[in-house]
Amino acid sequence: MSTVDQQSIWDPEVDFGTPAVRGAESVTVTIDGRAVDVPAGTSVLRAATEAGVAIPKLCATDSLKAFGSCRMCVVEVDGANGAPASCTTPCADGMVVSTQTERVRDLRRNVMELYLSDHPEDCDGCARGNCEIQSLAATVGSAEVRYGRPESRQQVAHPHPIDESNPYFAFDAASCIVCSRCVRACADTQGTFALTVEGRGFDSRISAGGTDFLSSECVSCGACVQACPTSALQEHSIVELGMPTRSVETTCAYCGVGCSFRAEVRGEGSDAQVVRMMPSKNGGANEGHSCVKGRFAYGYTSHRDRQLSPMVRDSIDDEWRRVSWDQAISRVAEGFTAIQSEHGRGAIGGISSSRCTNEEVYVVQKMVRAAFDNNNVDTCARVCHSPTGYGLSQTFGTSAGTQDFASVEEADVILLIGANPTDAHPVFASRMKRRLRAGARLIVADPRRIDLVRSPHVEAAHHLPLLPGSNVAFINAMAHTIVTEGLTDEEFLRERCENLDEYLAFVRDPGNSPEATAEATGIAPESLRAAARLYAEAPNGAIYYGLGVTEHSQGSTMVMGLANLAMLTGNIGRPGVGVNPLRGQNNVQGSCDMGSFPHEFPGYRHVGRDEVRGIYEELWGKKLDPEPGLRIPNMFDSALAGTFRGLYVQGEDIAQSDPNTQHVEAALRAMDLVVVQDLFLNETARFAHVFLPGTSFLEKDGTFINAERRFGRVRPVFPSRVGKDEWQVVCEIATAMGFPMSYDSPAQILDEIAATTPTFAGVSFDRLDTEGSMQWPINDAAPHGTPTMHVGEFVRGKGHLAPTWYVPTTERTSRKFPLLLTTGRILTQYNVGAQTRRTSNNVWHPEDVLEIHPADAELRGISTGDLVDLSSRVGSTTLRALVSERMPAGVVYTTFHHPVTGANVVTTENSDWATNCPEYKVTAVQVGVANARGDAAVAQAREPAETHA
Amino acid sequence: MNEHVPAEARMGNDIARQFAHLPPAQAAEAIAGHIERFWDPRMRRNLEALAAAHDDSLDPLLVDAAGRLAAHASGTS
Repeated sequence: MSTVDQQSIWDPEVDFGTPAVRGAESVTVTIDGRAVDVPAGTSVLRAATEAGVAIPKLCATDSLKAFGSCRMCVVEVDGANGAPASCTTPCADGMVVSTQTERVRDLRRNVMELYLSDHPEDCDGCARGNCEIQSLAATVGSAEVRYGRPESRQQVAHPHPIDESNPYFAFDAASCIVCSRCVRACADTQGTFALTVEGRGFDSRISAGGTDFLSSECVSCGACVQACPTSALQEHSIVELGMPTRSVETTCAYCGVGCSFRAEVRGEGSDAQVVRMMPSKNGGANEGHSCVKGRFAYGYTSHRDRQLSPMVRDSIDDEWRRVSWDQAISRVAEGFTAIQSEHGRGAIGGISSSRCTNEEVYVVQKMVRAAFDNNNVDTCARVCHSPTGYGLSQTFGTSAGTQDFASVEEADVILLIGANPTDAHPVFASRMKRRLRAGARLIVADPRRIDLVRSPHVEAAHHLPLLPGSNVAFINAMAHTIVTEGLTDEEFLRERCENLDEYLAFVRDPGNSPEATAEATGIAPESLRAAARLYAEAPNGAIYYGLGVTEHSQGSTMVMGLANLAMLTGNIGRPGVGVNPLRGQNNVQGSCDMGSFPHEFPGYRHVGRDEVRGIYEELWGKKLDPEPGLRIPNMFDSALAGTFRGLYVQGEDIAQSDPNTQHVEAALRAMDLVVVQDLFLNETARFAHVFLPGTSFLEKDGTFINAERRFGRVRPVFPSRVGKDEWQVVCEIATAMGFPMSYDSPAQILDEIAATTPTFAGVSFDRLDTEGSMQWPINDAAPHGTPTMHVGEFVRGKGHLAPTWYVPTTERTSRKFPLLLTTGRILTQYNVGAQTRRTSNNVWHPEDVLEIHPADAELRGISTGDLVDLSSRVGSTTLRALVSERMPAGVVYTTFHHPVTGANVVTTENSDWATNCPEYKVTAVQVGVANARGDAAVAQAREPAETHA
Repeated sequence: MNEHVPAEARMGNDIARQFAHLPPAQAAEAIAGHIERFWDPRMRRNLEALAAAHDDSLDPLLVDAAGRLAAHASGTS
């Protein structure tokens, strides 16, 4: 199906009423004379819908287990008494069902009359087509209501004010039929349990825990709104814009979960407006669920701050001047060429973005390697998951997580370390919580008491609050316990791993015992031993990790340590196990896969390999540099040294996101030409000479790859609002610099990627459009993709057990800086906030705050809400305090979503030894009450909360 | 504290500390190998210059590795 075909109609996904049953034997039932084969256990309601027989329903929806309360879906079954609800009646072989007898029609009419007796005639949703009551009433033939019907919402039995506290949707109890779909969605799909039914009988009503939605535990995922069969829970956008007229299947542009969405749209071409984002039931990553960012926070794409014209200026102190695309591209090409003429070909480079498509990223690295004639290309993965690339390549042979997300449903024990999925990867967190509620055990290793340590119906078996910087000591102690207590998988180690003797001798050393490492980790030895036993003895033990693993001076070593732990216990190569990096941005995996690192071509092949370079030299008609180029921090250092003078930055805000802001800003100031391509004039643009407007995900045509290696299509909802696609701009810069680059379409770029990279050989737009998303490797050996990696054999052959020596960070506390700062993310904001700060998500997180333990706060006279100075050896900033026991004493925590706070003013130049990934998670700091000057400065600098445009 | 240490020395020392458990010659070769694989040539030359200037901020293993890098570059090893 072509992109155009997919955009042409609004065709909501069919609701089958109850979830699909997988893997059971088939049974045959006859429904209204039609024979239907379904897996045993499938509900009659679902079987009928699959057969094209529509049974009226209200409380049933296929994302939730059957509830059986509304009595609309009643049917008659031959040989059975009464009229059972079809949603709760499983199909049995030979069953004969009738869905349209006079008896069941009467029952439905009577039930509908009761619903209508308290449903207002002036229901906006009914009129608009966003409420099923009116249409269902027509379907079941309820033309008259014997009990009367309220003419307006004020006349319902128990009128309540409309709750409009949530910025994205409203709750109108007058339209509510108390079917509990919202309550069940909040519990079963999202796992938050924020909603409940208050009262009994006719007095019952839905409640957000006795308060309004905004003040409640609600995380605004929107599952309740999606589940609501009436307009009781309704998006504001539906009211403002009306019902959609078409939908476009695309992929979310926020975190690395990579949810599939149907962008529901009104209008065509440049007049098109997104009415709402509906998560796709067939989305491999999200299976119909979403979070507050993906579902609601798309307003930034049309925010007033959006820049739509190219701009130039001679100096960063000058005002911007709007110019044509040709003028801007000429300025870039001439500027870069002049720098190279004077300072050598290595004096310029480029940074690609994990928020851009694979096709956009690929052309950036091609431009750098072929037009710039060097390998000075890097990507923002440098500052997040570059250690994952190094660590998993060394041990397993490739740079990627081992599982699909569905794998967690088969995990028995989950070791979660340095990750906070409920905030950073919320849709996956819901999946994980579902598994935990079903009985899987959880080990959380994190200095901070994250929500998963204890939340409704989820409690970790162990929370190990290890001290920042001690990860490798911790993982060695886990491995020591497993090895010395005889908990290893001997057969797996013997058959599938190498370097066994050296590794076992290393890890058996008493210096790696929980007792010996306790001073470094801060973990009670017996707690650590118990956690190690739990993981090792699980039938399926799965590891999930995040930036709390990678953003350390030993980030790469720690990734290898996690891989070792999985190999020791045989937890690799089947569903339910594995080593799973939770990637931060939507296309971190893809941007790395596409050759964005300065030492690697696409597919993680070193630039020094003659046979790999030869592939590209032949195709591109150009000799290529066999030496690695500069990484991002190396670019900054070289800029200050005067050998690096020109930089193209695609969709990243390095002046806000990268550590040691003063150092970054000094480097940017030192350059002759900084080119920024972005949606907004971000912090980095303050140092730019050329601004090239970028496109939002709603304008892009291409692919993303999520954290489970899944290629997902990104399809344009409307054409580029800046007149060009980003890949075109890059091609034009390269061409203007003397290396002709052109493609007819992004599909052609992916074809080039597939033709030159064995791992992606089988992927194309056509296949993704017709067969749906798929996970790499996709090639002759795995034509439909690879959900689970390293089955039977590692990519590198034998898994390599690498000794992981613990080398403490040089960043230490002192009398001057006695606390350790660690940084992270929050649910409603995303990365540097460029997108989410330009939405109503600011309601939940208008500023970054510093979490500090009560003991540390009391010592300093700090209370919640106080402005405090946060200082390290490289800088200081001011923000508000939140006194909280989530942090252990001695450790403070903040986020980096707001430029006014500038958390990276205090983070240092320390980095992972192997990859230069910054050590964001360990900074020695001091905290004190801010003086009046600081208070005034923050008050002046703090941005007003920007609203959904 | 690292702020006044040249970047190549700081990053090189970080690498050296990871291989310090190995016998010295083996460690120096591993350090040189890592740097050769991942560092831009100008950074390698900067490191070699620091070593040649007997910069005292360099870990001895890194000094040895820098010598090996220089030898590799000149084709003498």
